[in-house]
Amino acid sequence: MSGAPVAPRLRIALLSESPADEAALRVLVEFVLGEPFTAVPPSLRARGWPSVEQVLPSVIRHLHFNTAADGLVVVVDSDDSPVHQPEHEAPGYHHPYCRVCRLRAVFRRATKNLPPSHGRSRVLRAVGLCVPALEAWLLCGRDTSVTEAAWTEGQAAGRPPYTRRELKWRVYGTERPSLPHEVKRAVQEVSRHRGDVRRLENDFPQGFGVLARDLRGWREPAAAAPDR
Amino acid sequence: MITAVHFRNFKVLRSAAVRLEPFNLLIGPNGSGKTSLIQAMLRLRTLAALPVTHAHELEGQRPEGPRIEFAFGAPFREVRVILGCNTDELVCNQLVVDHPPGADGERQWTELRDWLRSIRAYLFDHYAMAVPAKRADGAELASNAGNLAAVLAARRAAEPAAMALLEDEFRRVMPEFSALVLRDAPDDRVELAARLAGGDEVVAADSLSQGTLYFLAILALAYAPRPPGVVCLEEADRGVHPRMLREVRDALYRLSYPRDAGLDRAPVQVVTTTHSPYLLDLFRDHPEEIVLADKQGQAATFKRLTDREDLRELMQEANLGDLWYSGILGGVPGQ
Ligand SMILES: [Zn+2]
Repeated sequence: MSGAPVAPRLRIALLSESPADEAALRVLVEFVLGEPFTAVPPSLRARGWPSVEQVLPSVIRHLHFNTAADGLVVVVDSDDSPVHQPEHEAPGYHHPYCRVCRLRAVFRRATKNLPPSHGRSRVLRAVGLCVPALEAWLLCGRDTSVTEAAWTEGQAAGRPPYTRRELKWRVYGTERPSLPHEVKRAVQEVSRHRGDVRRLENDFPQGFGVLARDLRGWREPAAAAPDR
Repeated sequence: MITAVHFRNFKVLRSAAVRLEPFNLLIGPNGSGKTSLIQAMLRLRTLAALPVTHAHELEGQRPEGPRIEFAFGAPFREVRVILGCNTDELVCNQLVVDHPPGADGERQWTELRDWLRSIRAYLFDHYAMAVPAKRADGAELASNAGNLAAVLAARRAAEPAAMALLEDEFRRVMPEFSALVLRDAPDDRVELAARLAGGDEVVAADSLSQGTLYFLAILALAYAPRPPGVVCLEEADRGVHPRMLREVRDALYRLSYPRDAGLDRAPVQVVTTTHSPYLLDLFRDHPEEIVLADKQGQAATFKRLTDREDLRELMQEANLGDLWYSGILGGVPGQ
């Protein structure tokens, strides 16, 4: 074995809408980071949009002062809201209805004037957007008609290519899966990617891509700099 | 299943119709008719067991006074049933049945009648559930679930496979427990208790939380080998942690949508009520399952959430629970 120092495991908090979302996220976050992490208890849950936006400042503050969490992962469903776009990344740009832009703004405000705590200047941010719901990510590579581009084009034409309910049907074989079935299927489907998330980044470049880029930035030295 | 109920001059329900689905969650202020709907269904069950009036015997005349009309889905689409009530005390004592003529129509009514007699309504009482129950009373869950211990004991003896599924589900949802204990009590009674995980400590029913007891009663229904045809459950969310409401919903879905749970049996129609915005949130993908009971002055009405044409737009910037609480959906007190 080499004697190179091993960085301590990242301590990560996850804020999601359901236990199934959280189970899938745990797998995906580990795939993106390429290393195991320590989940910060308890499981953080929001009641969907816009509750997640309302509760997020308190969650960030709590994690900052009361835990040693290195970062917080927040993933929400896009539903019918606009999908985040590359032009939203321009400095100073903020789309009023894009949930990625809005959650990032909450992070900026919530972390702005906090004094250092637990040896770090702030809790790191990773924001993702399931377009239109987690089940789309779960179908990635299995159902080629399900992509961010297909959704965005359909949205522009006023004819979404599929509904949340249809996606549920395709993943679970029912519109009303039990929770254990939902969790099991979610983990099965994301585990198909076997640590390689390139297909997810390709088919979901904004919703999943932004999450992956946030996460990869965490191990970079600049990550601790303020107001990234 | 019952596809629609139409009230005329019945208490606050002057002229109120409600369409029913396999699963129905009723929300609305107190006194808005949610319980009246359940009571009407119970009255229907009671009168279905007694001699009825056939529509042709009335020679075209409909019952005077308050009445409640029921319509049904296949194979009973052509059967109509009317509960006739007297004007003074609003007691409904007359059941008028209108079915197709001939032997086939008679057969339809006979079958429907059997099904109506399996309508059940529940309002659980944790005090009653905590008292040891007579072993002989275990055939069917009582309306207050006071015989839960006896029902579970009887099921463990007669249907061990069904009982094992129930216990697996109980342990999954409440991992703090490792087993249900059904122990002998004096007077040929049986007492419910639960063993804590990771040891031998047994918690008696009177020390179990309300939510645990209510959830067990819901499981007793959802995992019954032969459930009732209709289950009305008041306050499905009672005593249950908001994060556990998903499990309550799913247990009730198991009744209404058995095929989705891999079961080969007829769906049970579920009519349940709640005051919990958190439970309501869980229906964002199925708003058609929500019925709003609304009271304007002294008159109450029902409407399906999906009757709101702008619902989809409203749900973009707020979840269902908050929309309801805000009042813009209706179904709030003080109107
Ligand atoms: Zn954006």
